[in-house]
Amino acid sequence: MAVHSLPPDQDDASVTEAATLSSLYSFLALTMRYPDPAFCNEPFFDTFESLLASLDWPSELAELQTWRRQTPDRLDDLRTAYTHLFITAAPGGTIPPYASVHLDGDGTMYGRTTERTRDFYRACGFDLLSETEPADHLQFELEFLAALAGEAKFDDEERFLQILFRPWFAQFQKKSMQEARHPFYKVSIQLIDFFTKEEQ
Amino acid sequence: MAMNLTRRTFLKAASIAAASVPLANVRAKAESGLVKAPLVAPGSFKNTQTVVGGVCEMCFWRCQLVGKIRDGRLLKLEGNPKSIDNGVSICARGNAGVKLLYDPDRLKYPLKNVGKRGAPKWQRISWEEALDTCASKLKAVIDQYGIKGISMFPHGSTSTYPMDFFEKTVGTPNISEASFAQCRGARDTGYLATIDYPPSEEYADMPNSKVILLIGSHFGENIHVSHTKQYLKGLENGAKLIVVDPRYSASAAKSHIWVQIRPGTDTAWLLAIMNYLIQNKKYNIEFVKEHGEGLGKMAEGIKQWTLEKAAQECDVPAAQIKEVADLLAANMPHVAIHTGRHSSWYGNDFQRARSMACLTGLLGAFGVKGGFVPPANPGGLGDYSWPKSGHHDKTLQELAGLYHFAPPGTPPDLLRETAITGKPYPIKGCIIWGQNPIQTIPNQEKTIKTLEQMDFVMCVDVMPTDITMFADILLPDCSYLERYDLIRTGTQWNLAEEHRQFIAPRMPLVAPGFERKDSVYITNELAKRMGYGDKIPIQTQEEGINKMLAGVQLSIEKIKAEDGIHIQPGKDPYGDMELTIEFYNEELEEHGYPGIPTYIPVEHPPEGYYRLLYGRSSVHTFNRTQNNAWLMAENNINPVWLNDKQAAKLGLKEGDTVALINQDNVKSRTTTTVKVTPGIRQDCVYIYHGFGSRNPELTVGHDRGIDDQSLITKLAVDPESGSYGMRNNFVKLVKVG
Repeated sequence: MAVHSLPPDQDDASVTEAATLSSLYSFLALTMRYPDPAFCNEPFFDTFESLLASLDWPSELAELQTWRRQTPDRLDDLRTAYTHLFITAAPGGTIPPYASVHLDGDGTMYGRTTERTRDFYRACGFDLLSETEPADHLQFELEFLAALAGEAKFDDEERFLQILFRPWFAQFQKKSMQEARHPFYKVSIQLIDFFTKEEQ
Repeated sequence: MAMNLTRRTFLKAASIAAASVPLANVRAKAESGLVKAPLVAPGSFKNTQTVVGGVCEMCFWRCQLVGKIRDGRLLKLEGNPKSIDNGVSICARGNAGVKLLYDPDRLKYPLKNVGKRGAPKWQRISWEEALDTCASKLKAVIDQYGIKGISMFPHGSTSTYPMDFFEKTVGTPNISEASFAQCRGARDTGYLATIDYPPSEEYADMPNSKVILLIGSHFGENIHVSHTKQYLKGLENGAKLIVVDPRYSASAAKSHIWVQIRPGTDTAWLLAIMNYLIQNKKYNIEFVKEHGEGLGKMAEGIKQWTLEKAAQECDVPAAQIKEVADLLAANMPHVAIHTGRHSSWYGNDFQRARSMACLTGLLGAFGVKGGFVPPANPGGLGDYSWPKSGHHDKTLQELAGLYHFAPPGTPPDLLRETAITGKPYPIKGCIIWGQNPIQTIPNQEKTIKTLEQMDFVMCVDVMPTDITMFADILLPDCSYLERYDLIRTGTQWNLAEEHRQFIAPRMPLVAPGFERKDSVYITNELAKRMGYGDKIPIQTQEEGINKMLAGVQLSIEKIKAEDGIHIQPGKDPYGDMELTIEFYNEELEEHGYPGIPTYIPVEHPPEGYYRLLYGRSSVHTFNRTQNNAWLMAENNINPVWLNDKQAAKLGLKEGDTVALINQDNVKSRTTTTVKVTPGIRQDCVYIYHGFGSRNPELTVGHDRGIDDQSLITKLAVDPESGSYGMRNNFVKLVKVG
């Protein structure tokens, strides 16, 4: 794992808060990653439930618990759901989790937004581990936010959210709420929205 | 959800109670996709590079490309300025390759179908699982049914390597290439049976022709850059253009003589021209004396084809047939009788191709300026191949005693029939590689039945297509912009100019995205798992290209240093081709086919129906470009061309929405609009082929326009070659809404 640590001059409270936020973003990034037994397991689902309980989201918690109870092979179920929602399925069924598809006008991948996103990562001292996937996948954007929070770069975090994240995520979320019938992904996307939207 | 909690207040609370939500423990289980990197100031990596070595595959012509790349991202495609073929020009489709590369609907990862064939539900799986599954399932078929239990439908350069593996090393005879039975098979075999030399659409020396004769070819709608340059240069140089087409095509619009022929009767028209030339001694007597065999038998056999008889059969004026014949005779031998390419039209196409070759011979137009001239392409490239296993069964056509002039491989009609009936043997495993048999083979129901009875179906493709819906395992291929896989060779586009040759291997312009793999990798991994690991001829695509280039003392590195194309002095392509023109072919007669070119009449449309004709849109390559956002922005539907008088009779007007119903009562799944025009005969209608894909995974192309193939249910198979005739179906128009 890439370690994102805080500079030593931060006070204890903000250090803890930044670390929590970073962990939260990392957790949310995992929910948008293709399910793998390395992380997608019972402790992961337990943590998910704890988070929902802490937030006092009882109906979402109940939905997730029902799904867990009724789904014997949860990994297999999530893999099929993830493929359907984010990789390939009938139109409307799939919501590509790439910013450029939603922002660049002609539904393209690797558009101008992909380039701007990677520029942003690099300008903040980060880059992608692999060259084979576009930088503007939701998972990477959340991992980037985790990295920024981990270093308490809250200005960069806010700027990234404002300029590059929210404009497409809002569209993605809207489509997802129409299509994402699977409780795990529906709730995950609601959580991402909650932790990334501007506070009123 | 409770909304009284904000992110800020939650974070504060959660910080205190961090232990109750063990986020950090979970987070530690997976590596982040992001790493620390040196700070890069904005703008410091903005250099756009020109990457050389691209060879287009938006169609089969393979123009040479360069890519404008920034930070690994392809921004733009252009013609390679060094090209002596397409030059700096590329067509609309070539430009739109960027959209194929980055199409969000493209296949990205190996997929397993956890739903049903035809109604798939996909799950992403690892390459290990995908390859293990494919190999074990194929092996299980071989173990139970023998090697001939395996079938393959390959298409394009990506499938050459795996096709070799399955055909030579595994040894299955059940291989059906779309480019043959559904495209150029009848043309190739008709010419081979006449001049014993394979034809090509590249052999028409149009820039230097005095007369260009196009039978069904519609340049302008069919755009291949250097070919279009040749055609236009010919017209610019004063060539007379004769276009035989039931429709006022883009080429007909430029023609000096437009022969608005009755569909299916081209051979009768050609026989009448040849008969007239022979009877009036207006053919190239010297050439025929030297190169012809059996002219007397042909002359005797076709003498019934008077101008008047052909006029009646073809529904064109006798005077016009004479005018064409005289024009050809007056300008021989500098006449380009274009061979065409897609020729599987009416089930009598071998005879048409043979007639065209005979007419070229009568005019002495082989090897002369403006005639049928094979370019002197560079030779000497090295080779590599999968070894032959020694286990080779007879093909189905050999077993059935049919289609004696078909090349290796199996006509799909026999393959489907065998799979469905299990006779003479079961076919239970199917590999589909780059082909979309649903939209290329007539009678889709039979294709679906064929797939339904398989024990295992695997597909390898770039995009979801109609056929990928029927896969058990679906593997993502690299596109032509992400792989090495062939070497394009040729000469300068105008054969009369300074003789030069070029060698241009396809090299990737960008790295493969996601988990896409090339066909060498996929095939080798299958081979290892199926027990053929020791037979693998090359380990990588690069090794294959270098082996071929080594034959001419070149390498990938050298080609890169030469900006993607090696150019060397060429040879004069003109001169005696040392051909024999078999106006009468004894071997044909021995197999029970006519020894001389013969017209086989086709059925006329029943009352109230129109013959369904199809062709190309200038900005599409059939279903391969159906999801391309740029090309669909230009042309996203295939209007049905209907004669204006017939439109008035039916009460239809321009832009009306219609469905089509064919003679077997098959109704189009979707609708299209009507294009009312005097530019088409009254007995036929016309639409672009390749629209109306049934695959809902295609966000842009799904159900756009009508899938003409769905209406081609009545089969007509060319008796000599086994090619399909796909223009023998009839439709009526039903207004919708």
